[in-house]
Amino acid sequence: MKLRVLPCALAALFVHAHAFADDPVIQRVLVEGARASQLGIADSANMGSVSQKELEMRTIYRPGELLEATPGLIASQHSGEGKANQFYLRGFNLDHGTDLATYVDGMPVNQRSHAHGQGWTDLNFLMPELTARLDYRKGPYSAREGDFASAGSAAVTYANRLVRDVATVSLGQNGYRRTALAASTEAADGVVTYAVEALHNDGPFTRGDDYRKLNGVLRYSRGYANNGWSVTAMAYHGSWNSTDQIPERAVAAGTIGRFDALDDTDGGAARRVSLSGVWRQTTADTASQVNAYLIRNQLDLWSNFTYFMDDPEHGDQFAQPDRRVTSGINAIHTWHAHRSDSMTSDITVGAQAQNDNIFNALTHTQARRTLDVTRQDHIVETSGALWIENATRWNAMFRSTLGLRADRYRFDVRSDRPENTGKADDHLVSPSLNLAFGPWQQSELYLNYGQGFHSNDARGTTTTVDPKTLEAVGETPGLVRSRGMEIGLRTEIIPKNQTAISLYRLDFDSELTYIGDAGNTEAGPPSRRTGIEFSNYYKPYKWLSIDFDAAFARARSQDVDAGQDRIPGAVEGVGQLALTVSQLGNWEGALRLRYFGPRPLVEDNSVRSHASTTLNGRIGYRFAKDLRVELEGFNLADKRASAIDYYYASQLRGEAEPRDDIHFHPIEARSFRVTLIKNF
Amino acid sequence: MNVRRLLVNAACAAALACACVAAQAHRFHAGITDISFNEHTGSTEVVHTYMAHDVEALLANLYQRQFDLSDPEDQAVLRKYVEKQFWLAAKDGQRLPLKWVGLTVDVDSVIVYQEAPATPVQKVETIHDAVLVDFLPDQVNTVNLTVGGSLRTFGLNARTPELSVH
Repeated sequence: MKLRVLPCALAALFVHAHAFADDPVIQRVLVEGARASQLGIADSANMGSVSQKELEMRTIYRPGELLEATPGLIASQHSGEGKANQFYLRGFNLDHGTDLATYVDGMPVNQRSHAHGQGWTDLNFLMPELTARLDYRKGPYSAREGDFASAGSAAVTYANRLVRDVATVSLGQNGYRRTALAASTEAADGVVTYAVEALHNDGPFTRGDDYRKLNGVLRYSRGYANNGWSVTAMAYHGSWNSTDQIPERAVAAGTIGRFDALDDTDGGAARRVSLSGVWRQTTADTASQVNAYLIRNQLDLWSNFTYFMDDPEHGDQFAQPDRRVTSGINAIHTWHAHRSDSMTSDITVGAQAQNDNIFNALTHTQARRTLDVTRQDHIVETSGALWIENATRWNAMFRSTLGLRADRYRFDVRSDRPENTGKADDHLVSPSLNLAFGPWQQSELYLNYGQGFHSNDARGTTTTVDPKTLEAVGETPGLVRSRGMEIGLRTEIIPKNQTAISLYRLDFDSELTYIGDAGNTEAGPPSRRTGIEFSNYYKPYKWLSIDFDAAFARARSQDVDAGQDRIPGAVEGVGQLALTVSQLGNWEGALRLRYFGPRPLVEDNSVRSHASTTLNGRIGYRFAKDLRVELEGFNLADKRASAIDYYYASQLRGEAEPRDDIHFHPIEARSFRVTLIKNF
Repeated sequence: MNVRRLLVNAACAAALACACVAAQAHRFHAGITDISFNEHTGSTEVVHTYMAHDVEALLANLYQRQFDLSDPEDQAVLRKYVEKQFWLAAKDGQRLPLKWVGLTVDVDSVIVYQEAPATPVQKVETIHDAVLVDFLPDQVNTVNLTVGGSLRTFGLNARTPELSVH
């Protein structure tokens, strides 16, 4: 067929063509399936977007591991499967998500002032079948993000409609069974998209997790994402047994095995239901977005980390129930301040409001029966933020993004002890500046500076008496400032290769943390992290891509005694090497080597955890256009490593006194899963 | 700087900002479709050319994900959309049987090829071209119809997505 289009006429027509006011967020068309280039778009070397196809090619043991598509991020589990994951990024042990802001479909996942851990991020309701995209950024360099975003942020977007409906059935070792259905259909001038999932998993543990999950999503959308609206309902329920961390001495003595538990009544149950909506309008000159959400979260969690240390008779098991309703609204408006052939300048303003109505507690239990209440609180935490951002493309070689954000928090705590009841408020103003030089020779240089924060547990802001020891404690501030700076380089100078390097420093005014397991707050010293991150993506052929990421960080407390400046749990290095083969006839597959670096476990660095390297893989075969089978393998080398290590004192039944020891949770032993996927 | 001077300066700055907005040229979105007869095959051939940026924005805003138009699965998504939005009809209102031939994609443009086998171009009575107009309100689709060596050009848009060529 002869092409009859006149190139000149086309050029004349298209010379000024452009899409929308929110253009930079729209991804480029992919040529030969390569990862979308961020040149000319990104504010920093560390940000990126991972497509649905790349996410599908990952070997995922649990939904939270989808976030590991973010270079330098590790998601692990230190307890029963239904519990929130443990995250590591940029030299942080982020616990259950403190300093990593996570969003699913515009809803915040982090739960503030949570019974178990500040910023609790339970991603078990995440449905991979609906996940269209993961966008991530690291460092406090954006006015758009506030609480918990200092180390980084990750936003998962669900699809309004599916290209093809999908049904899957999976069977695996250790009691793994999963079935899911995701589909969309046109109805009432819009699209209805729905997904349901049922899962069971025991894991390798002697007393199986018996994790049972039921999960569902229902969405109605109209129009296009940038000119339309959608309403979404989600519901998740999970229940599980926990095998919490165990002391090395008990395993060494042969009293228990690596996959045994010391309190076989530990476990939990979680429920999450949400209703959310988003409306967007985009014209050639403006873009507006409003999204609102209403989320109900309920958690019951029974843990025992010290066994018989505090109560040799009944044991140390404790419960941390948390019931909350979170409501919020975000509004964003962008307009062109200036637009000419050589220069464009957009201004974006945003307003955010969030309210959490929380009932939580810490109780002493035995076999899930309450013995006494350590503390019980009703918390109303309300926050509001206003932000403004200017993004200017000064010329073909220089862009800047300047932002200013103001946050205000109000904490209202009604505790079972009058001494710990009260109100507090706090506010912060956070500026940010990003400069991008280039592209030049397919390369860009970035300079980033920004201030951010995390909120502390509301209970810490009003607590004057430690509910356990009855000792007086100092109140802690509501918001803790962070300051970050970074120099980054992104280059595509080598054909079919994308490389990004970042050198960063991140300071926190105080590593203030609420010790959920103990029921009190602990004011830590200031901290400084410096690190380097390297991320490389090479796609030499249409059917082969190679990912290599490595990140090293130095984390130190400041203003502390000499030799006491290590931050327990702070990861010193992580890395990933992955080979992905796709569109190779009917075959596809991936191998991923993950390095989880060493961590100091105490301030003086005398006890350390070992690095571990694990290998996961998957192989898929397509029988027909719409039917394929996948085999996934986890921990293929069957390494005996820890998902997490802690160093603290505990006492086993029969021991005369507490003993300091490393307590660990093992990674899963080698296991396999087979999945049948049917598209229709 | 006194208050009055500050106010004057602010007013000047505001006026300048307004002028900048007003000076902005109106930019439009465009697609080109060529319809002609291929004597060798006896088919009426249709070639659409769209800006890659517009197509990527369209697909990303429909499905919230990136598209790889070198992948047959993703091509099928664009095909479904184009076949819904573009059609040709004969005098009796019967749609001409447009077959999907394929597409090519580069960094700047997406070119879609269709053909109506064993169909003389004279049969084309009605052109319906609503490709991208539902997504980009200012989209203009220029259709070049070559019949017997003479070229006629039609402009279709959101208000007039369909017209009769006779």
